[in-house]
Amino acid sequence: MKPLSAIFKHTAWITALVLVLTACSGNSGSGGTNTGSKPDSGQSPAATQAAAQGGDLSFALATSPDTLDPARSGLAVAIRVYRALFDNLVVQLPDSSIKPWLATEWTISDDGLDYTFKLRQDVKFHDGTPFNADAVKFSFERILDPATKSGNALALLTPLESVDVIDDYTVKLHLSKPSRAFLTNLSSASLSIVSPAAVAKYGDQFGQNPVGTGPFIFVKWDQNQQIVLKRNPDYKWAPETIENKGAPYLDTLTFKIVTEEATRIGSVQSGQVLAAETVPPQNVLALKNDSKTQLIQVNTSGLPYTLFINEKKEPWNDLKARQALQYGIDVATIVKTLYLGTYDQAWSALAPGMTGYDASLENALKPDPAKAGQLLDELGWVKGADGIREKDGKQLTLNYVDGSPNREKRNDIAVMIQQQLKAIGIKVNVNITKDTTTVVYTNGDYDIYGNSQVNVDPNALYQFYHTPAQGARPTIANYSNPETDALLEQAAVEKDDAKRADLYKQIQQKISADAVIIPIYVFPYTVAAAKSVQGLKFDLTGYPWFNDTSIQK
Amino acid sequence: MIKAIAVKLFTSLLVVAGSLLLVFTILYLLPGDPVDSILDPTQATPEMIANLRAQLGTDQPYYVQLFHYFGHMARGDFGESLLTSEPVLPKILDNFPATLSLTLTSAAVSVVVGVLLGVLSAIHRNKPIDIIARIVGLFGISMPTFWSGILLLLVFSIHWGWFPAMGSDGWRTLVLPSITLGLIGAGFIVRMVRNSMLEVINESFIVTLRSKGLTERAVMYRHALRNALIPAVTLMGTLVGEMLAGTVVIETVFARQGIGRIISDALMAKDFPVVQGVIFFTAIIYVAVNLIVDLSYSFIDPRVRRSA
Repeated sequence: MKPLSAIFKHTAWITALVLVLTACSGNSGSGGTNTGSKPDSGQSPAATQAAAQGGDLSFALATSPDTLDPARSGLAVAIRVYRALFDNLVVQLPDSSIKPWLATEWTISDDGLDYTFKLRQDVKFHDGTPFNADAVKFSFERILDPATKSGNALALLTPLESVDVIDDYTVKLHLSKPSRAFLTNLSSASLSIVSPAAVAKYGDQFGQNPVGTGPFIFVKWDQNQQIVLKRNPDYKWAPETIENKGAPYLDTLTFKIVTEEATRIGSVQSGQVLAAETVPPQNVLALKNDSKTQLIQVNTSGLPYTLFINEKKEPWNDLKARQALQYGIDVATIVKTLYLGTYDQAWSALAPGMTGYDASLENALKPDPAKAGQLLDELGWVKGADGIREKDGKQLTLNYVDGSPNREKRNDIAVMIQQQLKAIGIKVNVNITKDTTTVVYTNGDYDIYGNSQVNVDPNALYQFYHTPAQGARPTIANYSNPETDALLEQAAVEKDDAKRADLYKQIQQKISADAVIIPIYVFPYTVAAAKSVQGLKFDLTGYPWFNDTSIQK
Repeated sequence: MIKAIAVKLFTSLLVVAGSLLLVFTILYLLPGDPVDSILDPTQATPEMIANLRAQLGTDQPYYVQLFHYFGHMARGDFGESLLTSEPVLPKILDNFPATLSLTLTSAAVSVVVGVLLGVLSAIHRNKPIDIIARIVGLFGISMPTFWSGILLLLVFSIHWGWFPAMGSDGWRTLVLPSITLGLIGAGFIVRMVRNSMLEVINESFIVTLRSKGLTERAVMYRHALRNALIPAVTLMGTLVGEMLAGTVVIETVFARQGIGRIISDALMAKDFPVVQGVIFFTAIIYVAVNLIVDLSYSFIDPRVRRSA
């Protein structure tokens, strides 16, 4: 029986595999983990020691940026790299307040249309071009220019109309209508300031040769392999979120592109890379308990992953039917089952920690299948022979559309909801498609569609919940409520911060009471890193700052 | 002979053109368009989307886009990536060496492992080595590369740290991916060589050679093997095709550079020019390899030479 030897060989392999997967490490170190409450924090080392100078930080990304031109790409993975290469006029602190960065001070006209910024005079781009008002004008006008094909950046820069250079270090931004989100949006990495000389030199290829004023200088980009940056020795204009006011500690910063999850996470454990992003829930615990690694988790601000109920479709245009979905879907179970306690459940249209987030909505709604059934009974949907509700000879079906690939197990959410709603007599057809743009935005062929958005200002709610103007693109939920509209319009321009926060609380209450959405989870950004990596910090939107990062020898 | 080559070259050209047309049509028919990857649908206005489609020319009817595309190709202009505006040709040329070295080393692994095990298992029929060879053949053919690749990676890179888990610089990064990919080919070759060896061994000329008093070794390795390899050479063309296809998965698993990665990303984003550029390249290589295979017959097998 010789084949046995072959079988034994494989047994050994599989044993090794199991060993690796469980990542047995006797002594569980305390992996510094932060969740959500203080988004702008890295790990806090037990003893604050002076940061070590030098070294190369390898940081594995899960996908490849398409381009490193902030005006062109709104991909999250591209934005993670922007923060190292570019700076903004202003920075957002963890308490949502806006503070100086490349701009030292600013004034806003009484009508809220003119923003005049005074700029730092000691800043230069990596290519030696001085930073001044012309560079700001150039960067923003480039985003407004349709030839740039800007998407994300353009949306954030709206309603900017024109840019005037007052003098070398004073620039005036003129809006077509007031917007309280505008200043906050200027802190988004998508609105970074780029070198006019470099854009002139590289043209369309600027995204392959990015030049900014940031703490790191672009060295090279090996397609699908790595992006290499080196320390900017002249850097001394860090914003106040950064402790290190001078040049970064790291000599080089290398973003490795490793799409395969097992490779990416395994490489941190084996020390082949020092940090890796996007840790799948099933690996979180093992990395936390591994004495060699730490796990950093930051909840991103913006809109959590939310299921929008299409109010254009029967019977979901009726409040009672939507409430039946609110009571019939057990979100807590879904989040616990799929993410093993590594993701926080979402309760509101806004992510926690944002201006005006309404914490009173947390745990306010409990799943109640009996009540859901009762609401549907009242609407005349009665259970038929096969347990699915019927009315006038029609079955109660719900068309659930979700995108592919299966990002963060969103397809699994669909399947669990299918099971849960079957119990209250609703038949769910799950339609997983790669082409959600056509199905959802062009044809409107859906009853439920989920979405999330990383954003810095609660005004992000406007484009999802405000009734669209005549002829404009419909919103996903097709929700239209004059009261909510008025609140959103008011909140967009309200000058008093406390009042503004209160308006957003009212808006979230309205959205919840009108059963517009089913919030599911708050999207966390997770990074696994070797214990030697110190001072890795994140901004509110979950994008890393590498200025304070060092590698302890 | 010259005429035969000319005919083959012409048919090869048709194959390349045909594959380009086919891919273009499939991409055209698939739902979605590059605008989805460029603009965030929750933030873009219908006007923005329409403008961008007009800019990219994706709003044109099928035959117009096709005509444009082949017109440019004929002038040697492969166009630019719709997503990043990079010219396609340099992008492919930059990434091609990594894929080529992976393909060649994998093919080498296939041939060495396949022929060696195939011959040994035929000669030592039903002995342990034969059973091992058959198991290798079975595994090679039936194991999905993304699984076997991750397995090798976990054991030899993450656990024991013998080879790097990622990258494409230096020979060490080639070891695990080429074994993963090479095992597929090895699986096919083992079976092929084993079967043809067994056939040849039972033919009358082998008996004649033995009766002439040649040593068993000479009979097996000089005469039997040479005849048994002819069908295996036929397999080489298909094998290189398999290897090229396999790089798509392998380059992702081992985070390598290469055109396999480029095409999978481009397909996801419906970046037509890039997909077509890679298809053009791989089709040319595939055709060239098959041409070489066809021509090499005449050197290996005199019967083919006489009929040509």
